[in-house]
Amino acid sequence: MKVIHIVNLLLILFLLVGICVAEEIVVSRSLQDVQDRCLYIEQILERDDTLKTTEMALAIDNLEYNWQDDEGKLCYMVNHKNIQEIGQEIAKIKQYIASDDIDAFRVSIETIKSYCKSYMHFMGANFHNVL
Amino acid sequence: MLTIIIRSIIIYFIVLFIYRIMGKRQLGQMQPFELVLTLIIADLATIPMAEVSVPVLHGVVPLFTLVVLHFLLTLLTKCSIVLSKIISGKPSIIINPKGIDYNAMKKLNLTTDDIFAAIRECGYFNISQVQYAIMETNGKVSVMPKSEFAPATNADLNLQVDESFVPIILVSEGKILKENAKIAGLDEMQISNLVKEKGNGSLKKVLLLTVDQAGQGYIQMKSGEGKTFETQRLVSA
Repeated sequence: MKVIHIVNLLLILFLLVGICVAEEIVVSRSLQDVQDRCLYIEQILERDDTLKTTEMALAIDNLEYNWQDDEGKLCYMVNHKNIQEIGQEIAKIKQYIASDDIDAFRVSIETIKSYCKSYMHFMGANFHNVL
Repeated sequence: MLTIIIRSIIIYFIVLFIYRIMGKRQLGQMQPFELVLTLIIADLATIPMAEVSVPVLHGVVPLFTLVVLHFLLTLLTKCSIVLSKIISGKPSIIINPKGIDYNAMKKLNLTTDDIFAAIRECGYFNISQVQYAIMETNGKVSVMPKSEFAPATNADLNLQVDESFVPIILVSEGKILKENAKIAGLDEMQISNLVKEKGNGSLKKVLLLTVDQAGQGYIQMKSGEGKTFETQRLVSA
């Protein structure tokens, strides 16, 4: 095997390892961030019992802004269809605030958490996913 | 649509790079694992090309993983004869001096038509002309004819022949191939003079100019017939 082949092989190996590590870090951090923000929103809801508060509006804005930022990064490594539901649910949440529909709001927050949780499980390299 | 165009360009260059580092074997010369790899690469490359929601990385990562696997298998087949036999198989004798080996034929799932087609490709139309036929691991059949049917060589005829040399292409379609000129030990001025002298024209009008180590040359202008000429023997070639 020529030296150039070994160099190519090592470069490809480093690239593959780099991609795997980057995916693990970026995806986990982004989805964990969404989950944390959803938990925070739920805490506000428990305390105030209404959606029309400044703190809630700020929390939702932050969730939306951060998700838009993270979604761009995730699109490099995740099938866009797998994460578009999160964006759609965040868009619905803003509608529910306007109509102060707490039940639908709770469902959407749970849905987002569920998507994040299931995708984190789906992404991991475990026996079920490999086979 | 622009996304698909850009993705296609990216994937094209990645696949090109992969085939370049894999080597230059043709389809018919591939070992089984190389053929499998080629088929999978073709399929994998099209996924991110056509499906915009799939990131390019989803196509690139499996492609590069397969390249790594290919290198490892190549390395293993070179290091271990046993593994080489498991992965690539081993050559099988399908015709021996007694005739067709029926067991080998059945094992390789061949018909007599296949065997005849293979020996015909090697230039033998009668099985009685063949001493041995061996099916190589890449699926090609090598034929060793019986002595009385083997083509006579110069050595058989005790003929003294001049050594033959590989011609070096110096000019192709009006352009001097600098690397070849260096091998031949000629500079651009010498080549231009050669063209003027032998082709009666300028360098741009030359279709092909070759010279071998013995000084045998061939020149053909873009508008004209080719002709051979003799020049000085090349020193550096």
